[in-house]
Amino acid sequence: MNDRRFAAVMVAPATFVMLGIAGYPLFAAAWMSFHRWILVFHEYQFIGFENYGFLVRDPRFVRAALHTLYFTAVAVSLELLIAVPLAVALSSALPARGAVRAFVLLPWAVPTVVSGKIWAYFFDADSGAIRAVSGGAVDWLGTPGYAMHAAIVADVWKTVPFVALLVLAGLQTISPDLYEAARVDGASSWRLFRSITLPLLRPAIRVAVLFRVLDALRVFDAIYVLTGGGPANTTESLSIYGYKTLMRAGDFGYGSTLSVATFAIVAACAGGFLVVFRERRA
Amino acid sequence: MPRWFLASLLVACAAPTPETGDLVLRLQPLGGDERPLRSLLDAFERGNPGIHVRTQLIPNATDLAHQMLLTDLEGGSTTFDVFVADIVWIPELAKAGWIADLTQWFPPSALSRDFFEGVVRADVFDGRTCAVPWYLDAGVLYYRTDLVPRAPKTYDELEAFARVAQQRAPGISGLVWQGRQSESLVCNVDEVIWGFGGRTEAWGRAQVESAEATRALRRMRGWIESGLSPSFVLSATEEESRRAFQSGRAVFMRNWPYAWAEAEAPGSPIRGEVAIAPLPTLDGHVGEGVMGGWQLAINRRIPAARQALAAKLIAMLTSPDANRILAHAYGRNPPRRAIYRDPAFRADNPFIASLEEIIAHARPRPITPFYNLVADTVQSGFSAAISGVRPPERALRETQSRIDAIQGARQ
Repeated sequence: MNDRRFAAVMVAPATFVMLGIAGYPLFAAAWMSFHRWILVFHEYQFIGFENYGFLVRDPRFVRAALHTLYFTAVAVSLELLIAVPLAVALSSALPARGAVRAFVLLPWAVPTVVSGKIWAYFFDADSGAIRAVSGGAVDWLGTPGYAMHAAIVADVWKTVPFVALLVLAGLQTISPDLYEAARVDGASSWRLFRSITLPLLRPAIRVAVLFRVLDALRVFDAIYVLTGGGPANTTESLSIYGYKTLMRAGDFGYGSTLSVATFAIVAACAGGFLVVFRERRA
Repeated sequence: MPRWFLASLLVACAAPTPETGDLVLRLQPLGGDERPLRSLLDAFERGNPGIHVRTQLIPNATDLAHQMLLTDLEGGSTTFDVFVADIVWIPELAKAGWIADLTQWFPPSALSRDFFEGVVRADVFDGRTCAVPWYLDAGVLYYRTDLVPRAPKTYDELEAFARVAQQRAPGISGLVWQGRQSESLVCNVDEVIWGFGGRTEAWGRAQVESAEATRALRRMRGWIESGLSPSFVLSATEEESRRAFQSGRAVFMRNWPYAWAEAEAPGSPIRGEVAIAPLPTLDGHVGEGVMGGWQLAINRRIPAARQALAAKLIAMLTSPDANRILAHAYGRNPPRRAIYRDPAFRADNPFIASLEEIIAHARPRPITPFYNLVADTVQSGFSAAISGVRPPERALRETQSRIDAIQGARQ
């Protein structure tokens, strides 16, 4: 048996276990999505793809998907914009470097629900700190245009440390000789950043963005704690819609359909991302 | 020890005794000192030797409690016998066949005789008693006695009083209520719809679209647009609006009676300057607050002998004495009518006694097994109307068609 086959055989048991653990809930959800299953009325019948037919014509699903995509696009972009300079700053020789890094990591360590509650107090339109700063004209959590951005702010605050850490790890792999050589040639700081740091950070940024996109597409607690999906479902994400259908209404059939659809969207985005930004072997 | 003694011990342990064991009561934390409740349960244990009553706490948030219950009851759990149910769950639980029929122990006629009419309507489904009322709540209007001459009877009066008060105390808000997309919002809107003479249910199904509902929502949106209600009500639930009112920054507040204790507590900025009244209406008739409250029901999966025992426990927990203890120790409003007339009770609990009229007039939300299925849709429809996302007619029309699809498809 050659090496490759041997390796495959060695890995096979673990692969089966993982497929089982990851695959079972997926298949169970898909199976449930082919039924009309209302808990309270004991309705349980096979209806094939009828739920999916309803799904594609469901404006609430389309809106939830759009909200989720918008949230992902804006949140991840903001996180990158803040985290990369932050990581560069952290990698330079700072006094008490370890302490500063630990401090920066604090938001990431706080559970999302707790940080959501803290931000809910900040955004409290009656007595929150943000009202004092912005003059109190806007009720961030109750006004349709603003509420989503309040959730984005809360989420960005929490996850910038995570992205910064990933980028920082990438920065450590860049050899200082490159910077030396460039400085000898007379390059400015900005030129160093643009021509050396950024290109060599591409792999780390790819990983960070992939993680964040996967997370942001499944956003639940960051939004739910702040607005519960309101006002008027204008901040409802796919996960929140699925949760309300499954758990509050007890509609397991359609709720599973939403879960499967969410999975499909996340998988498609992740797959597309990997294809578009794959490593080009020079 | 003599052998016969040991032998009889063994026989005693081995003999089946269906009456001994634990009864499990699932309830929400009542707050405060747990001893009064425990003393009630201990008295029950003394009256039924061999029985021990254990309590299981469930979350205070009604949605979470509902979710827990749904999964447990659908899973056929027999780990609890008696449990508290929100007033809006009873038709749903009855239709699902998860709660026992209590008619033999609590016939509907007995309930109607002893308890307020509104809650009896919610607890009796299809002519069968499905739950027994434990404690009640009702939406009320709070007002500042130092800024307002008397309780307003109509919305016009409320707005006029508020405007005058705002001139006397610049910067104060007129009316605070709960406008966040949630069940609290549905309570607030239902009350105004009823105040406009509308109905929210028809033929055992929830009904939102009507001329009165459109007018009610338009009026509520107008309160926000005109500045009578500050814009933060759109993200406020009970606690946010209570905080604003209690710090003296609002003339009127719609809330539940629980806020009274906080308003009158030592150190409260508005202590002694608050009063409660029924909600105003369009034409001045006495307003109906939403009736909330928790009921006691029996898990249908437990054996019949235990059900009889559980019924005894419920009878004890809903007895006049238990009502008194719950009112005095935990501030829970009794559902029994006669108690409010008892002079001793009135002397002991003057505030709760003063709520008698309001609770008697309180009206339950649509009594339908579909309530939780449509609750989400109704919440977002109302939210769309009061936050200006959609005009009220369109919001109501879309909501109605969606809930018709959910409710109408079932027979």
